[in-house]
Amino acid sequence: MDFTLDEDQREIRDWVRTFVRREITPLEPEVLRRERNGRPGLTRDELRELQLKAKEAGFFGVLTPQEYGGMGLGAVMTALLESELGRSFVPFRFGGYADNILFHGNEEQKERYLLPTISGERISCFAITEPGAGSDAKAIRTSARQDGSDWIINGEKTFITQGNDADFTMVFAVTDKEKGADGGVTCFLVDRDMGWKSEPIDTMGEWGPAALVFEDVRVPKESVLGEVGKGFQLAMQWIGQGRYLLPARAIGSCERLVEMAIEQARTRVTFGELLAERQAIQWMIADSAVEIEALRWLVLHAAWQVDQGMDSRQAQSIAKLYGGVKANEIVDRVLQIHGGMGYTRELPIERWYRELRLLRIYEGTDEIQRRTIARNLLKGHAKIGGSLV
Amino acid sequence: MNIVVLVKQVPDTWSERKLTDADHTLDRESADAVLDEINERAVEEALKLQEAHGGEVTVLAMGPDRATEAIRKALSMGADKAIHVSDAALHGSDVLATAKVLAKAIGTVEGVDLVIAGNEATDGRAGAIPAILAELLGLPQVTQVRKVEIDGTTVKAERETEEGVAFLEATLPAVVSVTEKINEPRYPSFKGIMAAKKKKVDTLSVADLGLDPAEVGLTGAWSSVLEAAPKPPRSAGQRVEDDGNGGAQIAEYLVGQKLI
Ligand SMILES: Cc1cc2nc3c(=O)[nH]c(=O)nc-3n(C[C@H](O)[C@H](O)[C@H](O)COP(=O)(O)OP(=O)(O)OC[C@H]3O[C@@H](n4cnc5c(N)ncnc54)[C@H](O)[C@@H]3O)c2cc1C
Repeated sequence: MDFTLDEDQREIRDWVRTFVRREITPLEPEVLRRERNGRPGLTRDELRELQLKAKEAGFFGVLTPQEYGGMGLGAVMTALLESELGRSFVPFRFGGYADNILFHGNEEQKERYLLPTISGERISCFAITEPGAGSDAKAIRTSARQDGSDWIINGEKTFITQGNDADFTMVFAVTDKEKGADGGVTCFLVDRDMGWKSEPIDTMGEWGPAALVFEDVRVPKESVLGEVGKGFQLAMQWIGQGRYLLPARAIGSCERLVEMAIEQARTRVTFGELLAERQAIQWMIADSAVEIEALRWLVLHAAWQVDQGMDSRQAQSIAKLYGGVKANEIVDRVLQIHGGMGYTRELPIERWYRELRLLRIYEGTDEIQRRTIARNLLKGHAKIGGSLV
Repeated sequence: MNIVVLVKQVPDTWSERKLTDADHTLDRESADAVLDEINERAVEEALKLQEAHGGEVTVLAMGPDRATEAIRKALSMGADKAIHVSDAALHGSDVLATAKVLAKAIGTVEGVDLVIAGNEATDGRAGAIPAILAELLGLPQVTQVRKVEIDGTTVKAERETEEGVAFLEATLPAVVSVTEKINEPRYPSFKGIMAAKKKKVDTLSVADLGLDPAEVGLTGAWSSVLEAAPKPPRSAGQRVEDDGNGGAQIAEYLVGQKLI
C-alpha cells in the first residue's frame, strides 16, 4: 500500500496551495469586512476574475472531461484540490464546472445548458427539496402535468443553493402520482424567464439559498432532461456525484483552524504558563489532529473508489458523516482554545463555526448518512470492513 | 540566447524553520520545501527573454535529492531542461564552494549567453553567489537588477540599491541577479506541469564536475559554526507616557542606547 502522492498529484496540489496563498488568502480581511456589513464576500465579477486567472494557467473544470475543455482530473485529485481551497474561507471555486446530470442532456440541451454552464455564462441550480420533503425526497409534491405537447409545473422548492442567482434550474416534479419516485418523477430544465420566481432565505451562514416558486410555469417538451419518469435516478446521481467533496473542503478548513489553535496555545499565558503547557489544551489539539488525519484518509479512500469505478456509496456516506461531525467538534475546540476572542468577529473562527454547521445538514443529514450506512450493512449491501477490496 | 537560471530549493517561509542540533546546518527535513520565490522571478525573466530572443533555458540547482521538486516547478513554468548537482559531499557547503560547483556545472552547458540568479536566497541570505560566480567564470556581473534588456550582444540593466538606481551595460555572456521588483512570476500551467516530467534532467555528482569532495561541503568550508541559539524573544520595551516632556524622554533613551 502506497500513501505517497505521485509527482503530478503533488505538483498540482502545490500549484493550488500557492494560488490560495497568493491570490485568495490576502482577500480574507476584505471578505470578512464586507460580510460583516451584510455584503457578499466576493462579487460575481471578482470571483470570475479569479477564476479566469486560474484558467489562464489551465486550472478550469477540474472534474469536467477534457473533451468539454476541462481538466478531467478525477476524484482523488479533486479531493486534494478541494482541501487546499478549504484552507481559506473566501468563497472561491474553480470555474468550468457543470452538474454531472447536465452531461445526460441531448445535443440541443448540451448546447443550451451544459456548455454555457461550463464556460460560466449561465448559472444552474438543483431543486429537489420542498417544504414538505427534505430528507424524505421521495415525498415531493411539485407536479408537472401535460398540456398538449407542453408541461405545466406547479409547486414550491426550498433551500436551493444558487437559487437566487441561477438563470435556469434542474427541477424535479411528479409526473405520475401513482408511480411516485419509482418511475413517476421527471427532471426539467427550466429557464428563469419561463416564469419561476425565487425568494432569498436568510441563514446562519454567509450566503443564503432560495425558495423557488412555480405557478403554472409552462415548459415545452424539450425541457425534459433524460426520460420522463426517470428523474429520481438523476437526482440520486447528482447527490451521489460529490459527497466526498464536502468533507474534503472541511479538511483544509480544519487544518487551518488547528494551526490557529496551536499558535494561540504557544503564545497565550494564563496563571503564569502558556496554554501549550496545559494537558486540557494539548488533548484538544491532539484529538483534532487525529481526526483530521482520519478524515483525510476516509475522503481520499472514497475518492479513490470513485476513480476505480467502484460502488463508492458506503465509503462516501462514511466520509461525509465523519467529516460533518468531526469538523464541527474541531471548530468548537479551536473556538474554545481562543476563549472570548474565539467568539468575536475579530477572528474568522466564528465564521467557520457557522459555515461548517451546514455540513451536518445538506446533501444528506448526519442521521440520513447513518441510516444509509446501517441499512447497507443490515441488508447485506456492504460488509463491516468490507470496503477495501 | 542560451540562458542558465540558478534555482534553489528553500524551506517554505510559511513554515517554521530551524537549524539541526548536530551540525547547525539548516534542518531541511522539518520544513516544507519550495522553489525560492526569487528564483521563480529569475525563471520568469529567463522565459521572457527566451520568448523575445529564442534559445534555450536550462535550470541549474545544487541540492539534495528533494531539490528535484524545485527543478520540476521551474520546468513546469516552461524551462527546457535542467541540471541537478546532488552529492552527499556537498552537505554544508559555504558560498565559495557552492559558487565553485555552480561554475563547473555551468561549464557543462554549451554556448551560455546569460546566467540569471536571484539576488539572495530566502534561507542563507548571503547574497554573494552571483558575484563570486561571475568572478570564477570571468564574466561581467550585473547584480541586484530590477529591469533587464538584451540588445544584440549587450545586456542593459537597472541596478537598484539603497544608494539609488544605476544603469549598467555589459557584453554577453554575463551573470545577472534579479530583485523581487523584476517581474511577477507566472503560474506554471497545467499543461506545463504535465510536460515537465518529460523534460531532461541531468544529475551530476561532485566527481562528475571534476571537483575534489574535500574542497566542498562542511570539510571544505572556510568557516565553521560552533554554536547556534534561537533569537531571544523580544523584550517588552519601555513605555513613555507623554506628560509634556515625552520628546525629551525619548531623546534621553536614544542617547542612552548610543543611537543618537
Ligand atoms: C444551505 C442549504 C443549502 C441547500 N441546498 C440545496 C439544494 O441546492 N438543492 C436541494 O434540493 N436541497 C438543498 N438543501 C436542502 C437539504 O438537502 C435538506 O435541508 C436536507 O436534506 C434535510 O431536509 P430537511 O431540511 O427537510 O430536514 P428533515 O428531513 O425535516 O429532517 C429534520 C431532522 O430529522 C432528521 N431525520 C429525518 N428523517 C429521519 C429518519 N428517517 N431517521 C432519523 N432522523 C431523521 C434529519 O436528519 C434532521 O435532523 C439545502 C439546505 C441548506 C440548509
